[in-house]
Amino acid sequence: MISPLIVALVSIAYFALLFAVAYYADARSAAGRSLINNPYIYSLSLGVYCTSWTYYGSVGRAATSGLDFLPIYLGPTLIAFTWWFLLRKMVRVSKEQNIVSIADFISSRYDRSPLLGALVTLIAVLGIMPYIALQLKAVARTFDLLISPTTVAEVGLHNLFPALPNYIDTAFVMALVLSLFGVLFGARHLDASERHEGLVAAIALESIVKLVAFFAVGLFVTFGLFDGFDDIFSRFSHQFPERLALFRLDTAAIPYTKWFTLTFASMMAIMFLPRQFHIMVTENAHEDHIKGAMWRFPAYIFLLNVFVIPIALGGLLLNGGDTSQADYFVINLPLAAGHPWLALLVFIGGFSASAGMVMVSSVTLSTMILNHLIMPLILRIKVDIGDFSGILINLKRFGIIGVVFLGYLYYRVIGDSYALVNMGLISFIAAAQFAPAVIGGLYWRRANQKAALVGLSLGFILWFYTLLVPSFVLSGWMESNILDHGPFGISLLRPLQLFGLTGFDIWTNSLFWTMFFNLGAFLSLSFFCTQKPSEREQARFFVDVYGENPLPEQRRRISKAPTIMEFVELMAKFIGEKPANTAIASYLGDQEINSRGSLADQEIPALKAFTERTLAGYVGSAPAKIILDNYLSTRGSEMEDVFDIFGSVTLSRTASRGQLSVLYEAARIVSRGSDFDKTLQGLLSLLMQQFKFDLCMIRFLDEQSMTLTVKAQMGMTSKHFGESERNLDMETYIGATFLSNTSTVVNDTEYLDKHISAQIIHRENIKSFAHAPIVVEDEPVGVLSAFSRTSKGIFTDEFVALFNNLARQVGIAWRNHQQLTKLLSAREQERDLEIAKTIQMSLLPGGIPELSHIDLSGICVPAHAVGGDYYDFIRRSNGTLDLVIADVSGHNIGSALIMAETRTFIQAMRQIEQPSAMLDELNRFFYEDLSRAELFVTMFYLQYHPETGQLLFANAGHNNPILWRNQTNTGEMLDGEGMILGIKPDIDFEQRKTKLTKGDILVLYTDGVTEAEDSKGQFFGEGRLHTLISEYQHLPATLMIDQILEQIRIFTGNRHFNDDISLVIMKVVHLGPLTPELDAQTNN
Amino acid sequence: MKVPNPTSTREAWILCLILGVIMLNFPFLQIFNTGRSIFGIPILVFYFFIGWPISILVIFLFVNRLQREERNQKRDEEKE
Repeated sequence: MISPLIVALVSIAYFALLFAVAYYADARSAAGRSLINNPYIYSLSLGVYCTSWTYYGSVGRAATSGLDFLPIYLGPTLIAFTWWFLLRKMVRVSKEQNIVSIADFISSRYDRSPLLGALVTLIAVLGIMPYIALQLKAVARTFDLLISPTTVAEVGLHNLFPALPNYIDTAFVMALVLSLFGVLFGARHLDASERHEGLVAAIALESIVKLVAFFAVGLFVTFGLFDGFDDIFSRFSHQFPERLALFRLDTAAIPYTKWFTLTFASMMAIMFLPRQFHIMVTENAHEDHIKGAMWRFPAYIFLLNVFVIPIALGGLLLNGGDTSQADYFVINLPLAAGHPWLALLVFIGGFSASAGMVMVSSVTLSTMILNHLIMPLILRIKVDIGDFSGILINLKRFGIIGVVFLGYLYYRVIGDSYALVNMGLISFIAAAQFAPAVIGGLYWRRANQKAALVGLSLGFILWFYTLLVPSFVLSGWMESNILDHGPFGISLLRPLQLFGLTGFDIWTNSLFWTMFFNLGAFLSLSFFCTQKPSEREQARFFVDVYGENPLPEQRRRISKAPTIMEFVELMAKFIGEKPANTAIASYLGDQEINSRGSLADQEIPALKAFTERTLAGYVGSAPAKIILDNYLSTRGSEMEDVFDIFGSVTLSRTASRGQLSVLYEAARIVSRGSDFDKTLQGLLSLLMQQFKFDLCMIRFLDEQSMTLTVKAQMGMTSKHFGESERNLDMETYIGATFLSNTSTVVNDTEYLDKHISAQIIHRENIKSFAHAPIVVEDEPVGVLSAFSRTSKGIFTDEFVALFNNLARQVGIAWRNHQQLTKLLSAREQERDLEIAKTIQMSLLPGGIPELSHIDLSGICVPAHAVGGDYYDFIRRSNGTLDLVIADVSGHNIGSALIMAETRTFIQAMRQIEQPSAMLDELNRFFYEDLSRAELFVTMFYLQYHPETGQLLFANAGHNNPILWRNQTNTGEMLDGEGMILGIKPDIDFEQRKTKLTKGDILVLYTDGVTEAEDSKGQFFGEGRLHTLISEYQHLPATLMIDQILEQIRIFTGNRHFNDDISLVIMKVVHLGPLTPELDAQTNN
Repeated sequence: MKVPNPTSTREAWILCLILGVIMLNFPFLQIFNTGRSIFGIPILVFYFFIGWPISILVIFLFVNRLQREERNQKRDEEKE
């Protein structure tokens, strides 16, 4: 016997330790250095499976019925084989869907059905609440045992505080403290998907204490009171040979069927009991921890069981075979042997077992009640509360206290009875009802909502009828008639021999019938009923959670979609402003937000799904769905299926290949290179055929009017719409598309911000449209447009990409067309030019006048096909030789024509004798033509008398020729006053004269020579020309010209000149009378 | 994240589960369901308390292999 004060103090101290550990773990978690984020803590926390029912009860069972305590532990060891795929998949799905409880899991899998959630919650509450009562009872009972082992009556707390009112007993205080613990560490935040690290740390610590305490007492009994295992067994078989059946199976107490039933039930219980789901799935920090837990947890329960039989046998031996107190051998043996401290340790261990179960169960159940019973109710009656988040968290805290105290109430009212003692197994069978819906839901895509609902309901009803009702009867609260004769005397419906199935124990009977109806309904209804699309989609999130079979994406859109801020406000209402903001910030990341403060049309459904998932973490998936649906429907927004724009593509089946095939076909049309208009029509009809648009059109920029003009269109004909031009400004979508050179997509014409476009669009009843710029080498040249009168939201990203591609194809067609036109005209021109060139070259002097007095040579190198340079030699009958050099501005046909005209004029006007007069006449004659053509001519006109060496000359703005004097060996410039031809109608041309002597060299040139540029932009200049003349003065005129040209080429570093170059060189060979042959030649 | 070799791993686990269920049920248990003792301990009890740790050992070895494979895979990926 121990003083109640000590027991109370030790209990309080232990509580304080638990609080401290929990608090420390929470603090570590807040600091980001999680204490529980490791496989050891995870494995230990799974020990919440072992409650006081097994802590004390195993020994009791071993002592009374034998080995049937074992399957409760063997089951979990067996099912641990499946954890790496089954449990891991449950964890993965739950993390991704923000699932927080087993009710949430099942409801979420079956299209977030609120009804399923409520049903699972109901089963869990009915199955677990009495189990909580059992835990409270165990603690209270052992507390009393410690204080006064002999009395059976409850004294406990009242020994310590006699003043306490009657209704406050040990169990009450226990309930109070445990619910406080649950509130503090299980309901700190509303977000149930956030892990409760403090709670888990406390549970892990309790698991250690349980094991240590039980192991200690086991060692004490086996090796302290007895002499090892074989000693106990041999003494037992000597003393109670009639009880050796305890070590046998196939006995009256444990038939094989019962053995199997217990194994199966415990396999299901470890997976699907709400508290196990919470610890294994919701509180799982990392999937990898499962691997460690797969052998550590079975090892843990193995160690916990090693001493069960020795303690049971020892207890029987020491109590003379009395089994009435067998459930408390664990605590009674050390007490009786005079080791109260060991008994106290055992008490703390049992206390741990109870406390862990109560804390986790109450937190889980209150979450389930809040999310699946209260929330749907609140949402159904649509109470309008501004900020839910504060209310919800308090509801949850209240729920925890409520659950624990309901358990307490149950304990007070029902007390010690068959129903309570067997509550452990009853709850196991209840948990087994979840198995078909969960496992089927994880691996069978066709498992559907109706099947789960009917299966669970049937399972629940049969569980109630075959287990709860009999246990009530056996407890004496109901007439035993129903057990013996069946309801209304229908013996076929006797709960324990349902439908005439006799010969089985209560557990096997119940498990068989519940599973038969549950699984049967689940399988057959899943098989024969079809799923709604939303259900099928939700099923994919579970079955294909690893993404083995990616979803063929169903395109959805939301009409009148809320903005991001509206989604955030909605979330904030339920979960508080700060979590809402944090959530959205992490979701959006670097997504592009458009001008309306929202995402692209096709991103909105994803945002909606995210909002729903986030809410689900706080209020459960079914309520989250209701919240979103309500919200959207009050806004008048609807989820609508998007007409799959690629669905009608007939060229190929799959979407991506559909895109390719359309592009391929487009490229084929373009490359066919037929008539441009036909190509455009071909592309438009391809678009129309493949995508069911109402109108497609192509506009090109008209450079003269600077408007976008329709070049081709197909589909509905509407004058205002189709054929009107669009100005090149940002006022219309088409204009903006062209100017910004980016495509414009309007998936819902209810929102238009350009009113000119909006008018037209609404008048024509267009639902959606897209424009893509037709681009050639990054420059827009037109716009490709598509309009739909029937569907909104058809322009998906994929389609817009394809559409842009098609626009590029149109651009290629356009460029091809342009180039072809150019090429044709160039070919035309080229031929003309060839002719012009031939003509022009023929206009230059064909040969040099044969004159022994001079050495004369000339050359003209046009920069282009035709040029404007001109030189000529004219022999007159009086023996003089006229030299002309001229430069018509420009190098085109116009220049060439003027040049030809000039030549004709000069040749025709030989009778004009004086150079200045010739220039004068030329100017008068050409002034009109030149000024009209905006051309002008520079010219130098010289007249040389070979006999006398006299040189007359006049200048019309031309480069000054160089006269190289043989005697002085220097060059001088010839010049005369005179303006360029074609500037003024009347110009005075000054005529000058000079005399040449033997060896003098006259060099005439055009500005192409002096203004030839090198790579640095430097002119060749007159200086260099002077130098070259002096250098090559001894060469014949032809060679001099060749050398000078070569030097110019070297200077420019280019074979081709930028300007026409003409050079004429005349060397005076001798003076004196002309010979007759020459005269003859001149006359020709 | 890729599942390392998921089907074959899963099959192996399921095989072990089935084996375990068989060895812990009728008729297999009937072999040991005699009144005899071994080292003074009833043979059925002995069977359970030897077989149980062995099955835990099997899981342990499996898990170890799984982890080793994953480590190798990761290392190979890093090498690449």
